[in-house]
Formats: sequence, C-alpha cells, structure tokens
Amino acid sequence: MTAAAPTPERGALAGLRVVECGDGVAAAYAAKLLADLGAAVVKVEPPGGDSTRRRGPFPGGEPHPERSGLFLYLNANKRGVVLDLDREPDRAVLARLLGESDVLVSDLPAARLDAWKLSWPELHARHPALVTTAIAPFGLSGPHAAFEATDLTLWAAGGIAYLNGGGPGTDDMPPLKAFGQQAGFQGGAHAAVATMGALFGRARLAGAGQLVEVSIQECLASILELTYAYWPYMGLVASRLGHKPIQPLDFFECRDGWIYLCCIEEHQWRQFVDLMGSPEWAEMDLFRDRLSRGANWDALKIFLQEWVREQSVRDLYEAAQARRVPFAPVSTMGDLLRSEHLAARGFFAELVHPVAGRVRYPGAPYQFRRTPWALRTPAPLLGEHTAEVLAAVGVDARSVTAATGH
Amino acid sequence: MGPLAGIRVADFTWVWAGPHATLQLAHLGAEVIRVEALQRPCVTRLLPPWPDGIPGANRSGYFNQFNQGKRSIVLDLKTPEGVDLARRLVACSDVAAENFAAGVMDRLGLGWEVLRALNPRLVMIALSGYGAYGPEHEFVSYGPAQVPLSGMSSLTGYRGWPPMHVGISYGDPNGGIHGAFAVLAALWHRERTGEGQYIDLSQWETTMAVLPEGIMDAVMNGVAPERNGNRDRWMAPHGIFRAAGDERWIALAVRDDDEWRRFAAAIGAPELAGDARFATLAARKANEDALEDLVTAWTAARSPDETTALLQRVGIAAFPALSNRDICEDAHLRERGFFVELEHPEVGVRRHLGIPWRMSETPCAVERPAPCVGEATDYVLGEILGLDTATCDDLRARGIVA
Repeated sequence: MTAAAPTPERGALAGLRVVECGDGVAAAYAAKLLADLGAAVVKVEPPGGDSTRRRGPFPGGEPHPERSGLFLYLNANKRGVVLDLDREPDRAVLARLLGESDVLVSDLPAARLDAWKLSWPELHARHPALVTTAIAPFGLSGPHAAFEATDLTLWAAGGIAYLNGGGPGTDDMPPLKAFGQQAGFQGGAHAAVATMGALFGRARLAGAGQLVEVSIQECLASILELTYAYWPYMGLVASRLGHKPIQPLDFFECRDGWIYLCCIEEHQWRQFVDLMGSPEWAEMDLFRDRLSRGANWDALKIFLQEWVREQSVRDLYEAAQARRVPFAPVSTMGDLLRSEHLAARGFFAELVHPVAGRVRYPGAPYQFRRTPWALRTPAPLLGEHTAEVLAAVGVDARSVTAATGH
Repeated sequence: MGPLAGIRVADFTWVWAGPHATLQLAHLGAEVIRVEALQRPCVTRLLPPWPDGIPGANRSGYFNQFNQGKRSIVLDLKTPEGVDLARRLVACSDVAAENFAAGVMDRLGLGWEVLRALNPRLVMIALSGYGAYGPEHEFVSYGPAQVPLSGMSSLTGYRGWPPMHVGISYGDPNGGIHGAFAVLAALWHRERTGEGQYIDLSQWETTMAVLPEGIMDAVMNGVAPERNGNRDRWMAPHGIFRAAGDERWIALAVRDDDEWRRFAAAIGAPELAGDARFATLAARKANEDALEDLVTAWTAARSPDETTALLQRVGIAAFPALSNRDICEDAHLRERGFFVELEHPEVGVRRHLGIPWRMSETPCAVERPAPCVGEATDYVLGEILGLDTATCDDLRARGIVA
C-alpha cells in the first residue's frame, strides 16, 4: 500500500437495499449494476433456480446450475434466496423483504402477478415507500402488453434487427441479431437509470417511492441511431440492403485475422493510401471522395483486399492509429483476454466461487475515482442465503417449506 | 416534473455516445446545457436526415432525436473569455460531461483538476473509446469501429460467414446509457457525502460488459462460441423468417417441447408434434435446417402481423422485424404515449421517439424539442451566470458567444 489518498471500501450506492425478482437477463443486469456499486442486493429465485443457471456457457459444455458463466457474471455481489412465489406464505415473505428495502427491480410477467390476484400498481400501493421497477417486453399497457417475447423477438420489435444482415448480393439472408441477449441488457441498463431517477424522486415525494415501468421495445427503438428519423424527416425506410453511402467502413481479412477499415474523413483516407505506399489505383477518379468510394465499393474492395490480405492485424491497426486513422481489430475473445491495454486498466476481475472455482469476469464498465466499482463476492449458490436473509426480517426459513428446497 | 429537476449538467459532449448519456439526464428532468464550440458544431448537426434533403445545423433528425429537452449555448473555446464562461457554468453545475478525444478538455483548460477546484461537488464523466489511461488511450475511436473492437463482431454473423456488424454503432448508446447510470450513482454518493468525483468510461469496456456469454465461454473453455446467425443453443426454431410482402420478416422462438406442440397445431400441422425429427429440442437442433425450411414455408405465405396473431394466441413469442417506418406508425407505441411531437422552429412537428420508461409519481416528459444552435446563450449568460445585457451584447459582438 502506498500513502496515497485513502480509497473508500464502499461503493457509491452503499446502504441501498434492493430486491431483485424475475428471471433471465434484464432485471438481473439492472440489479448487477446497482450491486457492483455497493448496493445490497437480494436475488429471489424460484426453487428450480433462475433460467440463466441452465443456459451456460458451462465449463466443458456440461450444464451445471452452479457453473453457468452467464449466471455467475450477472449475479456476483448478490445474496440469493429461494422462494416459491406461487405459494402464499412465500409471497408473504417477499412482502417482508420489500418492507425492509428501497428498491424492487423485477421482470416478472404481469400474468404471474395476475395469477396472484395482484397487479403492479397494487403491489406499489402495498409498498408506497419502495421504488418498484417493472421491466416488461412491451410495457404494461397497450395492445401488445400481454405478448410473449424473447430476446430475439424484442430485437426485431425494437427495429434493430431490420438494420443488419445480408448486403449486396446476399439480400436473401434474413435480418441478423447481435450476439447474446442484448435486449435484456438494454432493458436492464435503462431500468437501472430509471430506478436511480426514482430514488432521487423520493426526496421530492417526502420519502415515497413510485412505480417505474420500463418497456424493452422502447429502450431498443430509442437507440436506432440516425436511421429512425429517416421516416419522419424524409419519408424513407432505412434498409440493411444495398450499398453504404460512405466507404471504406468494412471488414477485411488479414493473414492472421480480421480488421475493420474505417475512413470517414478525407484525411483518414489519404493517410491510409500513403500507408499502402500510394498505389496507382488509389488515384483513380472512381475513388476520389468518400461518396465515390461508396458508389464504387465493389471495385475498391478488390484492390483493398489484395493489399490487406498480406498484412497482420496488429501491425496494420497500430500503423493506422499512428496516423490517426480509426481502424480497429475484429477482436476475438482471446484478443480481449490477452490485451495489454485492458490489462493495464485492470479490466478483468477475478473471483473464487465455491463450485465454479477461480474464474475471470468482465469487470468495471466505468471507473469511479473515489468510490470504485468492485466485485466483492461470487454469485450465490441456489438458496445460499435464504436462512440468513429471512432471519434478518424475522422469518424462520423452516416455515417456508419451498424455500428450503427439500 | 422529472425527478432530477434542479440538477444542472454542463454538457460538453458531441456525436452520439455523450449526448445519449446526457439525454437520459434530460429525460429525468435535469437541466442539460449543451456547450457547443463555435468552431466545432456537433457532428450530428451536419448529418442527415434533413427535411426535403436540405441540410442545416438545426434540421438534422439525428441531432434532434438525441438532444431533446436540452438547451444550447455557443462559446468560442479558443478564447480565454470563452473558456472562462464555460468554467463559470461548470462552477454552478452538478455534472460535467464530455466525450472528446483524450487530452482535448485539458488543452481547452477544462480538465478535471481545473474544474474540481472550481466546484468540489462536481461529478464529471469522460466517455471515450479506450478510457482515460492505458497504452492505447490516445487511439482514435469512431462509433462503427467500436463494435469490432469490443469483440461483438467476432461473435455476430451467419454460421460460416465472416464477422459482421450489428446495424448500429452499438458502443455509443450502450456507453451512453451506462454513463448516465454512473453519473446518477455518483450524484447519489455526493448527496450523502458532499464529494464529487471523476468517472472514466471506456466504451470498449462498457460493450464487453454486455458480452459475458462470449467472454465467459472463452475464459472457461478457451474457445469462443461460433457465429451462429439467429439460432440459439436452447431454443428451436429460433430465427427471423421471411414473410409475405417485400422485405417483410417475422421473428419467432419456440422455447420448449410443449411450445413446439402448440406451434405445430397453430400452423395446421399437428402431426409434426409426433415427428421424431422435431419432437424434442435435441431432435430439432439436429435437424434445424429442415426445421427452418418448414417454418419458412409457412411464414412466407402470410403477413408478419398474421403470423404474430396466430402464434401469440397460443402463447408463442413472435413479432415482426419492424422497420423505422413501422416503428413510427406503430399503434401500440402510440397508444402508450411513446412519441414526442413538439413544434420545432425549423423543422416543425416531427414524430420523435420519447422516453422508454414511465414513472407514476414524478412523470418524465420531453418538455422542449432539441435546441437550435445557441438558442439558450442569452438565458445561460443572463439568468445562470448573472451577466448584464451590456456585457452579453459585448460578448456577442466580439464573437465570444453566439
């Protein structure tokens, strides 16, 4: 330890008490963002465990409820409680927990609440001091409120899928989703923002909480870059097909991997031409400016491919960056884990989990100078903290038969 | 009135990531003041779409979407007086936000050490491609290149195809939403302790935070998952299938064997439920090409809306792949009050996308359209900084403000 300014052990949200109740990515990610900054999060799982325990990735591809990489990542820093919310006594326990908390973040379907003769507004009314954040695929109102959804169908509903996939000569390929469960992550991140907003609102409401509703479809529609406005501004449908107006902005194969060439400004293109040794073809009128390069991309691409094929990704990346040209490697997972830059920033974090062992995790999405982001404890085993959490609110866990799992 | 009413943000951001972060704060009711450099208007002001295709700094739908609810002051930050005005604004703000290249704020005389001395309660966030330190921190970073850099492209694509993009510069809004959350958390800490702080957000790292399924696979198994189009390890069919019409597509997912039986009945082929090629998840995964051909034969014969209705009726997740036009004309979103239609002085009423959350007690609403260049210069100088009219006129005459 140096004698530098003392670092507080507690995160920015220390003292905040959160209950997370739901399934999958969205609520879990919202609660993770809170937990990693110091909030005390209790995760409520059903007796069979959260579905992410069954999704993996798993070591060796062997499913195991305590070894799912997605579950371990999403739920570090949380304590875990098992309740069977289809049973009234367990719901009474949840109510006790909520009575001792500041926030409930949930992606339970409204239909589940219906089955309990409850609705989100009623739940909020029973716990008026609580910030109750309900994440729903299409929101809590409107003709599609009761629609079933998955991450894929939401990616389509939010308009992003329509913008990706296929391309010149491959128009028959379908719209393509991004890797992973990005609808869930966006729903979760937006829910975390809205939840924090509502916590500030308590100061104006004499300590009262409120019901916060987050529509994942709306979260995704609100990140459509410039494409959405083409309709209300120009009456144009934005398509994934056809040529890009500006080039080069594309993937190329080097001798040892893939690189993304990116020349948006003219000076970037001139620097790239110089880097290539100023080949004659680069001075053809076909390629005189970025719009011409877009219009004549089929021809330009052939010239570029021939040159890029001989390069190494790392050398070309660094040579371009040295000239302020924003190329990027198409990072593989191995590249990320070996990156000197990420290592210097301490991005990957390590935890020891009693079943999964010592594992590295994606770390801080932002670095706070004063109240650091931190992984403190590994994800809970199924029901690991049921007894202690329930005891703290005056409930004997043995009275909740489903909660013991036996 | 939104819950952040009374919080002021000195917003030095530009392009998309930074403005997306401050947009969330505006949505929550904060007073967000875009400080626009005289010599360098926001990039998105210069990009389409524009009504009638006619460019104009106040006419871009791109800028106008992501700057709703904010104010704008124009300062010449190349002059000491312009910088002094910016500092005075920060001194009476709660938050400062920026996403310039490394070193720009320092060179302007608006770096963290300067600003914290003026305002110890300040929360400052810098969003950048690579973060504020580390061997590559001075590398140039553009939105489209963030997706490959982050690792997302190596995971995204059709099976056996090259790496692909995701359709938007995902690192920007993802960095922006995480940045907004970080600012709120830092403000929360400040309310308790009086301590401001600096937040270093690397969009590269923020994007990796949403790629755990790829990264954890590599950590645990030494290999990354292969690109696999729209398919899913645990669900089949799971894809975006051609529908009747020009470029119409329907996304659908069958989550388990029981849903498969309902799906088979819904498409009028109940015999498929007992077909050994498809009866179990393992069988459907083993015969997924044939499965997808069969699904396509059915979806291609009807509109995406009809398929959605038929499948949702039996509890199967299905939804059309909406275009920007579909979103704009969506009856569900309209009924929910998602759209914002405010009169803008140069582009009139355009249907913008609004706030993706609702609050029951402190309702959030977009109260003004995106600002024209410098529309709030007088307001900021006069009402916030307390300058008299003669001083403002003088600053304007000398080109320090606009």
